[in-house]
Amino acid sequence: MKFLKQPMMRKVLIALAPIYLFSIWMYGLRTVAAAAVVFVFGIGTEWLFERTRAGKVSEAVLVTCALYAIAFPPATPLWILAVGIVFAVAMAKGVYGGFGRNIFNPAIAGRAFVYISFAVVLSRAYTEFGNFGIGAADALSSATPLAIMRAGGEVPIGRLLLGLRTGAIGEGMVLLIVLAAVYLMVTKTASWRIILATVLGGTLTNALLLVLRVPRALPMESLLAGSFLFMAVFMATDPVSAPKRQPSHYAYGALIGVTAVLIRTFSAFPEGTSFAILFGNTFASLIDIAVDSLKKPSRPSAGGSAAPSETKGGTQ
Amino acid sequence: MIDAPSVGLVSLFLASILTSNVLLANFLGTCSFISISKDFRSSMGLGIAVTMVIGITSAVCWAVLYFVIKPLGIEYLSFIIFIIVIAGVVQMLEMIIDRFSPSLYMALGIFLPLITVNCAVLGVILFMQIRKYNFPQAVVFGFGSGAGWWLAIMLLASIRKKLDANTAVPAGLKGTGITLITIGFMAMAFVGFSGMIAVQ
Repeated sequence: MKFLKQPMMRKVLIALAPIYLFSIWMYGLRTVAAAAVVFVFGIGTEWLFERTRAGKVSEAVLVTCALYAIAFPPATPLWILAVGIVFAVAMAKGVYGGFGRNIFNPAIAGRAFVYISFAVVLSRAYTEFGNFGIGAADALSSATPLAIMRAGGEVPIGRLLLGLRTGAIGEGMVLLIVLAAVYLMVTKTASWRIILATVLGGTLTNALLLVLRVPRALPMESLLAGSFLFMAVFMATDPVSAPKRQPSHYAYGALIGVTAVLIRTFSAFPEGTSFAILFGNTFASLIDIAVDSLKKPSRPSAGGSAAPSETKGGTQ
Repeated sequence: MIDAPSVGLVSLFLASILTSNVLLANFLGTCSFISISKDFRSSMGLGIAVTMVIGITSAVCWAVLYFVIKPLGIEYLSFIIFIIVIAGVVQMLEMIIDRFSPSLYMALGIFLPLITVNCAVLGVILFMQIRKYNFPQAVVFGFGSGAGWWLAIMLLASIRKKLDANTAVPAGLKGTGITLITIGFMAMAFVGFSGMIAVQ
């Protein structure tokens, strides 16, 4: 099997390496098993699709698998992970014609699909953490920081920063995520505009809800809990499903941040980041079109807009 | 006269756009959604027209329901009466657009009269009847649902600009197939809002 070489995607994998090491310390064999199943099924699905059109398996599918595998609670049944990654690679990427042509982020499409289909199973799949997962109780219903905050409790901010809390396998270690974000921004792999806009959008929305004394508003620390930062750094910045114009990145990021906080605060789902990114992907093309039409001064009539584009085509 | 549900007008408006989007949550009015979204400009025009029609018909049908149908006790005729009211409103809107904006009239073409059979319009009116909205709620719900339909078709039209240029889609899925898959993902994104605001 040959891989399509994609340096950008390799940088994302490098950025994910420390997070993977930390996840192995957190959950041990569970992390390894989840990753193994996801990689086998993800690469296999992509290979089946690429075989029919004589293409190569893209390295982007490795990033999709790597992100998808650590976005679930540690005790998620492996067959659910397999179903989700097959759905993600086949329906969100394969049928659109492979790498670079998908509209929605495949990892997020798979994650949202699983979270909608198996919500109850996942809510019981959180386990104790640390010590390579040895001796951790099976499928313990440990409360996640978001659930504790929703119930009015407090979570020490240090534990949130160090990721010492229950949650999805790799979403928790805030310091490593920030480190990865810096690496991705310095190497120009991820758009700093999207990361900044997403974090600002979420922070300002949460602050506004608190200032307005909305009863269901979560404390500011909630932005360090859940998968908000993980998604802002790794999922929102996927260059294929994000808008293409640079000014659109601000609007796109802000939309994701605002939607994520609104959904996790008000909706029936405990966390809103997957939906927020799918929502952002849905709006990406429209934002690009809006930016384009703002850049060009609007023309007086429909007949006027057709003529210049014709002459442009003629000169090329 | 009626015991309307106690839901605020602002939250009802947001709910009809996001939590129970007439297209992406109830899947009403998909036929013209799929056929018109090929073209961005027509989508814009049709979106505005559908918003106007749903808004106006839900106001008119509310009046017809509570001042004609209920007093006469002819609820069993309500479907037919609603359809006649929709057809009348569309006909009037058509004449008004033709008089004041011939270019929009030409752009919409056959799709303007086809709004009559757009199930989103009748669907919204039936929701209005079942949920026993009072007059302001019916108007807000009507315009909100129309705006939700408009937003959805604009989103799909912008995505289809990319999709239709994509030649790598498997032959069997080109056109409508891949569009339906895309609509599925859009609906999945809107599922996230469920439970946010109850409209029932």
